[in-house]
Amino acid sequence: MVTDREILIKKISTYSFAIHEYRLYLDTHPKCEVTIKKIKECEAKLKPLIEEYEEKYGPLKKQNDNPKKWTWVNDPWPWEGV
Amino acid sequence: MFVYEKRLQYPVKIKQTNPKLAQIIITQYGGPDGELGASLRYLSQRFSMPVPELKATLNDIGTEELGHLEMIGAIVYQLTKNLNEEQLKAAGFDAYFVDHTTGVYPSSAAGVPFTAAYIQVKGDPITDLHEDMAAEQKARTTYDNILRYCDDPDVIDPIRFLREREVVHYQRFGETLRILTDKLDSKNFYAFNPSFDKKCFKK
Repeated sequence: MVTDREILIKKISTYSFAIHEYRLYLDTHPKCEVTIKKIKECEAKLKPLIEEYEEKYGPLKKQNDNPKKWTWVNDPWPWEGV
Repeated sequence: MFVYEKRLQYPVKIKQTNPKLAQIIITQYGGPDGELGASLRYLSQRFSMPVPELKATLNDIGTEELGHLEMIGAIVYQLTKNLNEEQLKAAGFDAYFVDHTTGVYPSSAAGVPFTAAYIQVKGDPITDLHEDMAAEQKARTTYDNILRYCDDPDVIDPIRFLREREVVHYQRFGETLRILTDKLDSKNFYAFNPSFDKKCFKK
């Protein structure tokens, strides 16, 4: 069964991967403006997804953890397939 | 500097225990053409790269390979985490198990521990980039060979993703080699080491 959490992380992975791939392309084509524009489009779609995920399931990056409560240590970790 | 993100580059969720497959896939963790070697190779070679695009590409691909190492570790872990004694004996996982139980240890499929002898850092960008292109193709062939043993879609899916990354990285390294040679004298690219003999660049 596919959980809501898995659907959300899949969406985050998809946009993050697109951005990663565009950025790697820019390393050898640093002047490509079309690619820079595409990154901005993906970033706009990714931002609310990350906010939703971190609100529901905890931080993807340490610096985004809840300032009142340290939840970074909580299970599951990415390799645990949850 | 590195910042950790608490997610895999591509999700891994394997339901079916399969220690025999884990023993094959471990080779992409610590084997001769595995992700650990790939990451160390590029992150070490980047220091002596002479051109901005080359530094950026080696830095960023070397970093991505660390994410692939984590994915392979996740696959091996999930393939063995619910192992019972019966499966262990039936699957021929005993040689790995006796040394590492179900821990994830960087070794080849044949059990040879990881060694830096799998990689080279020649300090000549033409030489290093050729090694990098070859490394991507060797890893691609290894993934193709792994796919011959896979019948579980939960394993096939992330392995196909990793295989495709080898093809893309090969393409990027080919471009960096062209960027470099475009800056050199086309009469003889190999007369100088572009990292050591700085005068070889076109004015």
